[in-house]
Amino acid sequence: MSWYSDLPQFYQNQIREMGLDDAGMTRRRLLKSAGAAAGVAAMSGLTFGKPARAAGQMSYMCWEGYNDPRIIDPFKAANDVDIAFDLIVDSPGGFAKLQAGASREVDLVSSDMPWVTRMGPAGLAMELNPDDYADVYATFYDQFKPPFEPLISDGKTIGVATRWGWVGGCINTDITDPDTWRSYDPVFDAKNKDKICVMDWGDWPILPMALHAGIDPYQELDAAQLEEIRKVLRAMFKNTRTLVADLTQAQKGLLDGSLLGCIGAGSYLTSAVRKQGHKNIIATVPDPKNGLKQGIIWVEATAIVKETDQPELAQKLLKHVVSKDAGHVLSLLDTTCNVVTNKAVEELYSDEEKSILQTDYMWHAWDNSQMHRIAPQIDEMLAIWQEELAAAQ
Amino acid sequence: MSGEIDRSWRDPELLAKALPSVILQTGFFLAPLLMTMALTFQRTKNFQLTWTWSLETWTDIFTKPHYWTILGHTLFMAITCVVLCLLIAFPVAYALATRLRAYQNHVKVLITFAFLTDATLKTFGWVLFLDKNGAANYIARLTGFEGDAVNILFTDWATMLGMVYNLLSFAIFTIYLSIDAIDRSLILAAYDAGASKFRAFWEVTLPLARPGIWAASVLIFLLAVGVFLEPKVLGGGKSPMSAELIRQTFETRVNWPLGAALTLVLMVVAVFIVLLFNRIYSLKRHMGPI
Repeated sequence: MSWYSDLPQFYQNQIREMGLDDAGMTRRRLLKSAGAAAGVAAMSGLTFGKPARAAGQMSYMCWEGYNDPRIIDPFKAANDVDIAFDLIVDSPGGFAKLQAGASREVDLVSSDMPWVTRMGPAGLAMELNPDDYADVYATFYDQFKPPFEPLISDGKTIGVATRWGWVGGCINTDITDPDTWRSYDPVFDAKNKDKICVMDWGDWPILPMALHAGIDPYQELDAAQLEEIRKVLRAMFKNTRTLVADLTQAQKGLLDGSLLGCIGAGSYLTSAVRKQGHKNIIATVPDPKNGLKQGIIWVEATAIVKETDQPELAQKLLKHVVSKDAGHVLSLLDTTCNVVTNKAVEELYSDEEKSILQTDYMWHAWDNSQMHRIAPQIDEMLAIWQEELAAAQ
Repeated sequence: MSGEIDRSWRDPELLAKALPSVILQTGFFLAPLLMTMALTFQRTKNFQLTWTWSLETWTDIFTKPHYWTILGHTLFMAITCVVLCLLIAFPVAYALATRLRAYQNHVKVLITFAFLTDATLKTFGWVLFLDKNGAANYIARLTGFEGDAVNILFTDWATMLGMVYNLLSFAIFTIYLSIDAIDRSLILAAYDAGASKFRAFWEVTLPLARPGIWAASVLIFLLAVGVFLEPKVLGGGKSPMSAELIRQTFETRVNWPLGAALTLVLMVVAVFIVLLFNRIYSLKRHMGPI
């Protein structure tokens, strides 16, 4: 029995003549070949010249930036492999796609950590042996070295942290005093009506507001606590000028002063503007309130898909993504700039790059923040969000 | 005519010719619709779909008023959009067909350009125009107004402006075609019979343009209930409409059964309203002029 034995005889002969029968061709490999060929065709502007063919194909589901040619091309050249990218526009969507069957084609995933964490119980992530990554972890910040609890599922390591940042208040220091943002109070101040921007990014604006209400959203919540979250969201919507899903809209509003502050985002939003020279746009983290840390640390992680048929190559790519040179590129993209988990990258930063990334602030942000992970009742919170938004009309 | 249609059901040749279309419709429309319906009876647990037949989603929809608030807001916006589009498009289409015949090709080309420009581009263009520091306020300040005279961005007014702007060309072209097809001799006959210009317009032009007005209304309505760009970008996302609610439910909440159910509710309500207006339109047609 071969992968093509159930096809008509004519096609079997064709496959044998084309030499595809002895390459261990599987449905998975066939799909990836098609994907890679389509990607190559699209990127080459559908030229009719015969492109040089690599020996292997991989499929990588990731956020934009991980596919930067400066990161990927050296890997492709060193391993003679083509990589087809499946770019994520939102982490839940990427996870849903994996569940819907993309896990049969994808080898590697770089996504928000809670969604990588979910890959464990969903049976989508391959178990990693931390000992195999000893050289990688050697240059990591201690905070991300194993055992790194958020990426452990059922006692097994399922991913490696890659990039991180913080969520708090995003402000323009020319029009608002950063000291007033040592809490989220300005969000609710009546004098700031129609000056607050809320990022329409799923749970991201809900979680800081829950923390402001004195509730830890990462714990199991009772009805009274959910009611408190409802109240704080209702109050937030009273001052909200706009909900935006697009980074540039929020960045523009902060720059021109039409927005006083943005909630639900942080370094991910401000850094690209800082890279363009606007150092007056900063991402802050409020001080702890009644012992509850108010900031949130987000982490992106990379995992290998369990069904991959080339685990060794996938592991190589994972190690490459978190390497010093790749990390430097990944942390300073045009669309967003964020620190990475590999401490060795710090050696490559210029003073200007450190300023863009607010490296002098990052550990203050870390110390005053919760680690973002799966919030058990996020669906209830999202439902409350929808209800309150509808009621605010 | 009716007899011909009745006969067609017994004509094997005609039925055979229709078979490919029936198969396509069944495969690409009916089957996905049935699957969507089946999905509404499933459940989601930990962001994963579990195939357990349940009425939980439908109970949720019929007990939570906010879904209906958003649907009501969507219908209100869509109907308002239809009315505004008709009010603007009819005079434009009438002028194109009757008064600007010498320039009509140039005007049609200009409208077509606007029609073919990407809606995202046009919508973000309005953001730049209506922004506090945008062109509208700049012009307002030049003409003596102080402060932010134009302050409608991130309101329902801006959403409506974007909807009407993006959908208007559909109405103009649909109505223009029906007015252009009117036999001029009928209008001249009305004048010969002593009708004033207004009476000829009211009793001849308008009734004969009615199919175009009706077609434009249905087209605009169905497109307007599905908009999500304008409420999000121009409306500031504070007054979400049904399409955005459905997107959020599918993508952010990863609640596919609920998203599927909301999609079906929107479809059923939209079709019901179209059928209702169709009924009213049919009655009016039998009763005489508008």
